[in-house]
Amino acid sequence: MSPAVQLLPLTSSLDEIPRLADAVEAFCEPLAPGPRDLHALQLALEEAVTNVIHHGYGGRPGHTFTVELRREDRRITAVLTDDAPAYDPLARPEVDVHAPLAERDIGGLGVHLVKKLMDSAAYERRDGRNVLTLARNFAPTAP
Amino acid sequence: MEINASTQNDITVLALQGRLDGLASPQLEQRLDALVAAGTRKVVLDCAALTYVSSAGLRVFLGGAKKLKSAGGRAAFAALTPAVHEVFELSGFLEVLAVHPSAAAAAASLA
Repeated sequence: MSPAVQLLPLTSSLDEIPRLADAVEAFCEPLAPGPRDLHALQLALEEAVTNVIHHGYGGRPGHTFTVELRREDRRITAVLTDDAPAYDPLARPEVDVHAPLAERDIGGLGVHLVKKLMDSAAYERRDGRNVLTLARNFAPTAP
Repeated sequence: MEINASTQNDITVLALQGRLDGLASPQLEQRLDALVAAGTRKVVLDCAALTYVSSAGLRVFLGGAKKLKSAGGRAAFAALTPAVHEVFELSGFLEVLAVHPSAAAAAASLA
């Protein structure tokens, strides 16, 4: 299958989450993905985009950033690029997912899930921008 | 996200349908808060038709379970789809939340 690339411009609004999920589903459609692969990628992008909106842009509307999707065989790579102040979401301390109910705090859980669900996750500050690269190898199509 | 509520004796069943993402999760949070404020203490969250949950949805699930517990009640989760089950597992939620194979089993656990 030939590589395919799609650039999605986004604004700093949570309204973008379902729109992005739809775009991801459409982009992955040629792979006939299983529900877990699609869910994993949509979740990782929601968490990353939410981080950009809340931490990068302080929840303020009107900022724009991009997600680039790349498809190479059954590997999907997503590159988020934003011009917010430097912020590495992957540097958050690990959460304790085995703490009892009363002590459970949801902070950091999104990044924890991104790391668990992606085959690779990397952050770099490049040319005054935050660049987060996420990739997942989709399972082979069921026969 | 659609939420369909039904009651069986003193148990409220919320059947969740669609995607519980960061945009939709406040809707469920308000619904759970309203139930607890109105005196409901036993809630089944039927996830059979829940196709997606992110950390924003997990936060509402956890918060709802905590609020019910502190009010002397309980939440029970039912019928997770494989993708949602995986997220519960990776988050450690299978250890702290009551998860049942069906809404009927979840309701029976609260009776």
